[in-house]
Amino acid sequence: MVHVSKGTLITCDQSMKQFLLQLDQTNALGKKFILQELDEEHLFVSSDVLETLEDRVDELMDQLTFTQN
Amino acid sequence: MSKEPSTSKEKRKNSRKDEGSKILKVFTLYEYLTKLPEAVQDRLYTHPPTCLTVFRVLPDIAQQFTLRILFIEQPVPQSVLSSWVPVNYSSELDESIEVATNLHIWKLASVTGGLKGWILNSTFKKKLKVALMGGGRSTVSNSDAIADPKARDIDFLDAYAYERWECILHYMVGSKHEGISSDAVRVLLNAGLMVRDTDDSPVITSTGFQFLLLDMATQVWYFMLRYMETVESRGLDLASCLTFLFQIHLGTLGWDYITDEMSENLQAFLQHLREFGLVYQRKRKAGRFYPTRLVIEMGQGNSRTSERMKNKERYIIVETNFRIYALTDSDLKVALVALFTHMLYRFPNMAAGILTRDSVRTALRSGITAAQIVKFLTVHTHPQMQEGGMPQTVIDQIYLWENERNRLRFTDGVLYSNINTPNDYETIKNYAAEIGALVWSDEKRRNIVVSTDGHDDVRKFWKKQPKSDLF
Repeated sequence: MVHVSKGTLITCDQSMKQFLLQLDQTNALGKKFILQELDEEHLFVSSDVLETLEDRVDELMDQLTFTQN
Repeated sequence: MSKEPSTSKEKRKNSRKDEGSKILKVFTLYEYLTKLPEAVQDRLYTHPPTCLTVFRVLPDIAQQFTLRILFIEQPVPQSVLSSWVPVNYSSELDESIEVATNLHIWKLASVTGGLKGWILNSTFKKKLKVALMGGGRSTVSNSDAIADPKARDIDFLDAYAYERWECILHYMVGSKHEGISSDAVRVLLNAGLMVRDTDDSPVITSTGFQFLLLDMATQVWYFMLRYMETVESRGLDLASCLTFLFQIHLGTLGWDYITDEMSENLQAFLQHLREFGLVYQRKRKAGRFYPTRLVIEMGQGNSRTSERMKNKERYIIVETNFRIYALTDSDLKVALVALFTHMLYRFPNMAAGILTRDSVRTALRSGITAAQIVKFLTVHTHPQMQEGGMPQTVIDQIYLWENERNRLRFTDGVLYSNINTPNDYETIKNYAAEIGALVWSDEKRRNIVVSTDGHDDVRKFWKKQPKSDLF
């Protein structure tokens, strides 16, 4: 039986994928959002979290950046 | 499917638009003309200068062939035409044919023996001959009969035109609140360069930011294209406005032209052009006008701008330590640099600032792309910097800052998993690829992602398959 699910395909590098997996496992968005892990660089997720995901990635990048003031 | 995903998707799309994933696209004259209805095109071709303008935008091969068959009064067989081009350039020929037929300049007609041959659009043919050989009555005439007692020289015209145009740009960045008419505001709003804010005052959009960073000739061209879209709602005729615009586009800088024979409507159009700085008129009833550099070089990039103006436009120094110096006293130019720079000091003849991650990210968030920033800096670098060019470190860093915002790529779609046999997998995958709906597939685990639009087709196809299990 073929299984059909609607959502969004995310293409990213491996470290980003691990970050997203961690968000999913720790319930950081309040729910599970990954519908299926496809391979090292692809994930299938539900479409309604994309904006939050982008914000989270932005936050992560901010934490990783050193700026001199 | 439940309704919720679609609404949330819409919301996401809208919010992305605000963030400005929309890239400003400037149509070329050809792209613009092909979108016009054929009737309008035909009316344009009744006017020799317009035919010449259109002829100039044709690809080289199309120009060549148009000239070759210009004086032949019967259709030229297709095979003859293609024999003029070596086989390995046939793709260029096809492209030329496509352009020329889209513009309805070339038409297919039957020749004796049932073959098809190319013939020029008869109006276009007649008027292009007129344009090339001189003659023909024009809508505006050059006034060499009576010299203007208050003639203006090119320097004056340049200064005037740039001042008018900068008024519009000033208005967009909000550095000055006086001075542009409601008509110009309407064009800006209609072009999506500005939107009405909650308190009804226009504010700049992401497209507007991108517009600001273009060079002036492209800005004018983009602006006029969008203006043309509003022409008919003002009760003006699109074809006659376009012909008039093309005519003064081919005018000579520093010459004056007589307005006496122009219709009421064109006079109104001329007043608009005057406001944007595309033409100069001493006063409304002066009876003559001067086209300015803005309209003559419209859409031609920076290629022919006068040296003096060019030097004024090259005012930015970028250092490898990310410092930016803007050697200018113009508020507008400083405001443009400040779009993506953290400004530190302002002096009478220069301003200094520094590119920071935050300042560039603010620009990126408002919809400007890294490529646009780099292009802007490169075009405006100070003559002293021309040799070394922009420091590579700075260019790279700007791109890196952009890339870190795009670590994830999203594609909406439908996932098929649990496909039973490799055979089924192949069948679905091949069909999806055939209708162009395949987004991603993995043979090992037999997963397929197709686009949302293609899903229905694939499902219908799969249901028709013998022995298939339904989904």
